[in-house]
Amino acid sequence: MKLQEYQAKSILKKAGIPLPASTLATNAVQVKRIAAEIGYPVVLKAQTFEPGRGKAGGVRIIQTESEIENISNEIFKLVLNQHPVQFILVEKAFTFSKEYYLAIFSDLDAGTPVLRLSEAGGATYLEPDSFKNARVVDRPININLGLQDYQIRGLVTTLGIDPSLWKQLQLIAHKIYDVYRHYDATLVEINSLVVTQQNQLFALDTRISIDNQSLFRQESLSDSLDQSYFGWEERQALKYDVDYHSFPGEIGCMVNGLGLAYLTIDQLISLNTLPAAMIDIHGGATSTSISSSLEMLLLNPRVKAIIINIFGGMTRCDETADGLLQALDKGFPKKPIFIRLEGTNDDSGLDLLHKNENLSFFGTTEALVNAAVGWLREEEE
Amino acid sequence: MSILISAESRIMVQGITGRRGHFHASQMLKSGSQIVGGTSPGKGGDWSHEGRLPIFDTVRDCVDATSADVSVIFVPPHSTADAILESIDCGVKTIISITGSIPLQDMMVVKSALKNSDSILVGPNSPGVLVPGIANAGIFPNDIAFQGNVGVVSRSGTLCYEIVDTLKREGIGVSTVVGIGDDPIIGIDYPTCLELFEADPHTDQIVLIGGPGGDSEIKAATYIMENVTKPVIAYVVGESLATSILRPFFSRSGSLSLDSLGKKTGALIDASVRVAGKLSDIPAIIKS
Repeated sequence: MKLQEYQAKSILKKAGIPLPASTLATNAVQVKRIAAEIGYPVVLKAQTFEPGRGKAGGVRIIQTESEIENISNEIFKLVLNQHPVQFILVEKAFTFSKEYYLAIFSDLDAGTPVLRLSEAGGATYLEPDSFKNARVVDRPININLGLQDYQIRGLVTTLGIDPSLWKQLQLIAHKIYDVYRHYDATLVEINSLVVTQQNQLFALDTRISIDNQSLFRQESLSDSLDQSYFGWEERQALKYDVDYHSFPGEIGCMVNGLGLAYLTIDQLISLNTLPAAMIDIHGGATSTSISSSLEMLLLNPRVKAIIINIFGGMTRCDETADGLLQALDKGFPKKPIFIRLEGTNDDSGLDLLHKNENLSFFGTTEALVNAAVGWLREEEE
Repeated sequence: MSILISAESRIMVQGITGRRGHFHASQMLKSGSQIVGGTSPGKGGDWSHEGRLPIFDTVRDCVDATSADVSVIFVPPHSTADAILESIDCGVKTIISITGSIPLQDMMVVKSALKNSDSILVGPNSPGVLVPGIANAGIFPNDIAFQGNVGVVSRSGTLCYEIVDTLKREGIGVSTVVGIGDDPIIGIDYPTCLELFEADPHTDQIVLIGGPGGDSEIKAATYIMENVTKPVIAYVVGESLATSILRPFFSRSGSLSLDSLGKKTGALIDASVRVAGKLSDIPAIIKS
């Protein structure tokens, strides 16, 4: 889970990392008041998870008070990938002489945290070509020992960073490692880390991502999770512990497991058809989450037909059938349902379902998807 | 005859009184696996499964009393790392974590502990290890496969079922099925499984099932090129996403990088692996 910029900054501030003064605003009047407090020039930054914020005009430098309300209103009118901008971060604009990139991230293949320092900070870091030419140094961290001073020294000497900055950099590196550990992050990034005219290191911008699998023990964060950002389906999915993805097609899919999701999508793509939604109920789902998942597909107006592809190991087919019947008995819109139910307790699961007239049954993923797509084609003609 | 587990394996279940642990211990008993007991802290001294299985408070007690050398873990995600570390500490040889979605930093601690031990971790988020007719150490549906000479390794659990079911329909038996797990950080990887299959006299051919995320299939391809003499047949699910308009929807989710999407099939072909265009094509390739 990515944190919004303002959330990430408040975490780093709390950790004692030097950052430019900034405050969050929800309307143009607030923006103007905050800017007056902070002092011009200021940067207005649209708070969004969507990429391309800068290009869309969501980041603007404001020199004087006269233009600030108009520009704030322009930013609040922006809609990035269907998500309207609701918050602007008002931040003190800074001049600096040099920028670096500093981060702790998770190397999933090696299974370790990594400390990374690069002389290509700012936008340069994000451009593949300039990144290739810049020097980037990584140090894997033994999670049981923690980040060591000598590792940081290794980085700063490799990059030839001025010794007058070493102490500050060491302190910041330790602090972001502490943030990484404390918040179960997968990434704590300072980009860019700038050197001011007073030879002070300052964190101009930051990104923090939190491990979704650890959210249960990060209560302070899951409470601050901006749920208004999610649609109804995403909120349902969070509530019932299933994965929900929305796509541009017309077939709603429910599967148990990521592999089966991809297999189903591969088969759809091979028939030039796209899914409308993909719900992964995971292994061992309860009848309640299965019932809620089917409900999401039945209520989605874009979903014309439904594919249910279950090969139960930990997912019990009798429990699956029970959940499906719960949703089917609720009087939602009727849609053709193409189902493949196999694995643990499949006999009793199929017995429960066989009476329902909306369902047609298949033995393999291929036959299942082919039938659903065939029905959709006929319907279109 | 098999890899990772065998007829001699003495299997214990961590979390044997939980809903899932209890149910799948029954399934494993039905399959004829040699289950010797389980743990459930606070319930040590009780018996479960109609008195067939002794319950212990700790892995140490269970191992001392039953000589268990394989543990199958069903405890909830927040205590899974602790359960794995407990088994490592007690010298359990093969540790299989059915539980998935383990906090990533917990898994980093586990990976570090594994380096200093002789234990092998399968998973997390694994369906287990299946040797048909001998032992089902995990959650494989019973009777899903029969004995034969094809070894199967897959990250995805459901695709493990899917492929062995497909093989069974075509009359092909398997030596061992290993689900290495679909979590971002896992224990045993493709190369180690391939090494074990290469050395297993009862495995003649190897089926490798891959998927999107990370580059472990590419590492497998390199390993195969340099070390594997037995024929390998592969299928990588989700490769069609690389050129599909669906790709951006996936790149925004999940923690593994999609940089290698669409390149895995090519890397495996370069390693002389026979790659199936569809999962259902695999039996024909095996028979050819």
